[in-house]
Amino acid sequence: MNPPRLELRRASKVYQTNGQKLEALHDVSLMLEPGTITALVGRSGCGKTTLLNLAGAMDFPTSGEVLISGRATSSLSEEELTALRRNRIGFVFQFFQLLPALTALENVELPLLLAGAARARDTAHERLEWVGLGEKADSFPHQLSGGQMQRAAIARALVHSPDILVADEPTGNLDNASGEQVLGLLRDAAGRFGATVLMATHSAEAAAIASTRVQMRDGRICAVERS
Amino acid sequence: MRSFQFFRTLVLRPLRRDLVRAVLTVAAVALGVGVVMAIDLAGDAATGSFRSSLETLVGKTDLQITANGGVDEHFLPALAALPVNARFAPVMETQGVMQGVGAVTVYGVDFVAQAREQTRKAIPQDLDRAAVISSGLVRRAGVHEGDDISLALSEAARTFRVARVAEAEDTEFVLLDIAAAQQALDEYGKLDRIDVFVSQGEDFARVEREIRSVLPGSYRVEKPGTRSEENQRMLRAFRWNLRVLSYISLVVGAFLIYNTISVSVVRRRPEIGVLRALGASRRWVFWLFLAEALLFGLAGSLAGIMLGRLMAVAAVGLIGDTVNSLYVSSRPAAITVGFPAVITAMIAGTLVALASALAPAREAMGVTPVEAMARAAREHHARTHARRNLVWAVLLGALALAVAQAAPIDGKPIAGYAATLLAIAAMALAAPALITGLAAGTRNAAQALFGPEGLLAVRGLAAALARTSVIVGALATAIAMMVSVGIMVGSFRETVIVWLDTQLRADLYVRPAGRTGAGEHPALPTGVAAAVSSIPGVDAVEVFHALEMDYEGQRASLGAGDSAIVLRYGRLRFLPGEDRETILHSLANRDRVIVSEPFANKHNVHAGDILQLPIGAQTVRVTVAGIYYDYSSERGWVIFDRSTLLKYLPNQPVTNLAVYVRKGADATDVRHAVEARLANYRVVVAPNYALRQNAVTVFDRTFAITYALEGVAIAVAMLGAANSLLALVLDRRREFGLLRYLGAAPAQIRRMIVLEAGFLGVAANLLGLALGFALSLVLIYVINKQSFGWTIQFHPPLVLLAGASALVLLATILAGIFPARAAARLNPIEVIHEE
Repeated sequence: MNPPRLELRRASKVYQTNGQKLEALHDVSLMLEPGTITALVGRSGCGKTTLLNLAGAMDFPTSGEVLISGRATSSLSEEELTALRRNRIGFVFQFFQLLPALTALENVELPLLLAGAARARDTAHERLEWVGLGEKADSFPHQLSGGQMQRAAIARALVHSPDILVADEPTGNLDNASGEQVLGLLRDAAGRFGATVLMATHSAEAAAIASTRVQMRDGRICAVERS
Repeated sequence: MRSFQFFRTLVLRPLRRDLVRAVLTVAAVALGVGVVMAIDLAGDAATGSFRSSLETLVGKTDLQITANGGVDEHFLPALAALPVNARFAPVMETQGVMQGVGAVTVYGVDFVAQAREQTRKAIPQDLDRAAVISSGLVRRAGVHEGDDISLALSEAARTFRVARVAEAEDTEFVLLDIAAAQQALDEYGKLDRIDVFVSQGEDFARVEREIRSVLPGSYRVEKPGTRSEENQRMLRAFRWNLRVLSYISLVVGAFLIYNTISVSVVRRRPEIGVLRALGASRRWVFWLFLAEALLFGLAGSLAGIMLGRLMAVAAVGLIGDTVNSLYVSSRPAAITVGFPAVITAMIAGTLVALASALAPAREAMGVTPVEAMARAAREHHARTHARRNLVWAVLLGALALAVAQAAPIDGKPIAGYAATLLAIAAMALAAPALITGLAAGTRNAAQALFGPEGLLAVRGLAAALARTSVIVGALATAIAMMVSVGIMVGSFRETVIVWLDTQLRADLYVRPAGRTGAGEHPALPTGVAAAVSSIPGVDAVEVFHALEMDYEGQRASLGAGDSAIVLRYGRLRFLPGEDRETILHSLANRDRVIVSEPFANKHNVHAGDILQLPIGAQTVRVTVAGIYYDYSSERGWVIFDRSTLLKYLPNQPVTNLAVYVRKGADATDVRHAVEARLANYRVVVAPNYALRQNAVTVFDRTFAITYALEGVAIAVAMLGAANSLLALVLDRRREFGLLRYLGAAPAQIRRMIVLEAGFLGVAANLLGLALGFALSLVLIYVINKQSFGWTIQFHPPLVLLAGASALVLLATILAGIFPARAAARLNPIEVIHEE
């Protein structure tokens, strides 16, 4: 039997700031399968972003484990972690985080270039077309609207066909129409590309597309709702 | 009190957070101020006071009587008989060599008259052997009253007895009775000058009139400071050029202050927005950032003053060498840091800092309160109008070209300096367009060669244009200085080497032993020329007489050689259009001279002009037969044929010989024979190659201070490059965090920054080389020509320049290493989630 795509086992995260301890995450356990969308909901400071960082192997639990396809992230070397981010994980941010110096096409192409992949440009074109921005390939981020920037960011996050897509408030900075478009793309990512989508959100509409909604408060999971 | 609180909270505290960059900025200012101060302090010390050290002994002279070729002592009785209350003291002044000590200044004075004047002093009994030594020299020589000393003046050394020690701690000299000095120098009947002491209460102007009434018109009667002023004037162009070179470091520093304050403004835009929302006025914000600049200026200036004092110690030797070799013999004085020098340094550093901060402070004024409300800290894209700036760059460049054509002002190449500043400004304005063009043009190649790091580096440069163009501007200014001075010096060197080939045609050169500075022409012992002429294998001996003279209030050199020998053996080069043979044929036994190019340029003299030359007791009208190229002295030469000079100065001693070996004779054998024949004389016999080597060595030593200044400018630029790259990295930290999220390894991020540094270095080199070539033309054809009067042939040392450019590029890449490491160490989680 295959291990879950992404699993958190009693993961906790404690930060030390100026000699004081801050428990951002406490004893969280979660299992996510391919092709699913999981939404983390809760107020600001409830631990959503911390959980996303653990899931995306950008950070490591103070106790407990985070396993990607059965392998604990804290057991991976720096090179293995880099390879993981290049090949298996994609990130989408609230504030898009496109590189202002690169065109839309170059931004999408970037993960493949960093990985030294072949046909980077062609693949990037395809992704950009998929998100409906084929004509904006040579535009710079400051020439795109918020919605267009976020769609380009999703194209970038999916250009290397990752197993896991981590999205932090993907519609938080968008109007309703753009937000709808973005949510549609996330649904496609899970359905068409088989990605495991883990999304933090305040938006009810965003939470509605998820098959699993995880309610968080003060670093703990207080409820899990499946539809 | 409240102002200080604001200053502490809003200026000092942010700087503390960014301590490394603050220290780098202060260091850059300190270096710039330090080098300006060092050049000024060292220049003052190296040129010394030019005051006669005799003044410390005999008191302040009121007037001095001098003449080209020496003062005839027969005028002394006529002067003494004048109906004035004044004392007339004859003086000889020369350099001697004291055994166990080395070169010392030797004066010949009238011991008898002096003893009568200073009644407490006894007349030494054995006047022909008596010597008075200054207490300063006694300390070094370790001699006492009554001891014997061995002193060589022209021929073999003579023994003198220390009759008395004179109180003069700061100076070193030996006094002999004037008759003894004349005998030792074999210069009877002539004095170097007559010092005049006017009694208190006597009408000074009347005394001067009376003196002039008994002297020939060619004699000069002037206040003692005049000589010192003349010397200072002669050195003026040299010192000004050094000063301007030192200011380049300050200019480079100015770029860096601008960048630092700009970075501060950009980073603190949200903070400024908050301050404005809380009620701070625009003007208040403006002064806040000027205060930051003022802090850098003051701190940098203070550090620069201390640094300058230290650097002056090294600089005084270099400058002193040049002054002594090329201009005038001087004794370096102690380095003193006076109040004016400190104030000047503080003002220079502070003004530069404030001026550089004006534009960014004005930008800060424009930040609106709404910036405080921005949820996302958007990158502030400073708008750079690359195209508009390029148009301005072209206009300024054209203006620089026009200004460079202007004539000197009061002998200073002011227009040349102005053209230089305009050209630098033009380059700075062209930098954004160049970077944009370079980034666009090399994008594909950069990606092909260096992968995504290359693409990101090239794009990153163009995206941060407001910042990168300033770094490139600063670096390019320093590189341009290096290139332009390198071309000028290289061209000059090549010109001098070619000139040496035309000038030094003899096989051997004979001159008096001992170190001589510029303006000093000690006599060869009598009999040397005859001795050499009789040696088998010697084909010809050219006898040369050299002496210093004053012409139209400026120092120059007067010489006389054998034009027939020069015609036969020499290859003297005259200005275009002048025929060498005709000119040289026309000199013998006639009142005709040739003059060197620097002399001609200084005094606006052309071939065919008439000069009124004061020689001895006469003013001689001579015709300028031709103007020849000469690089031996910036003072300038006027050359007679011997037959003419000896007509006016019959006893003028010989100062050098040029010996031509017969064809077929062994030059080495002849040299040995000459050395053996002259073994008992205090002379140096130098073969041609040794003289050439020495000339080139002196040349290289002369420009050592210039190379040092270039090095400082490059160091300032490098500090700035490292500082600015670090700022760029810190400003783009979110970008680097994102790259880590996208799968970039830390090594890739490091490589990207280093590549950016490399591209910056390439852009700076391109601009710097172009500007440097343009400035070298200004240096060679405007500044050098107007300052010194020389024609320098353009010979750019391409290999040297290529090597230097490569080194600067390497240094720029190395400057990127620390910022690269900082970028790779950033925590991606922290930087991505910053707001």
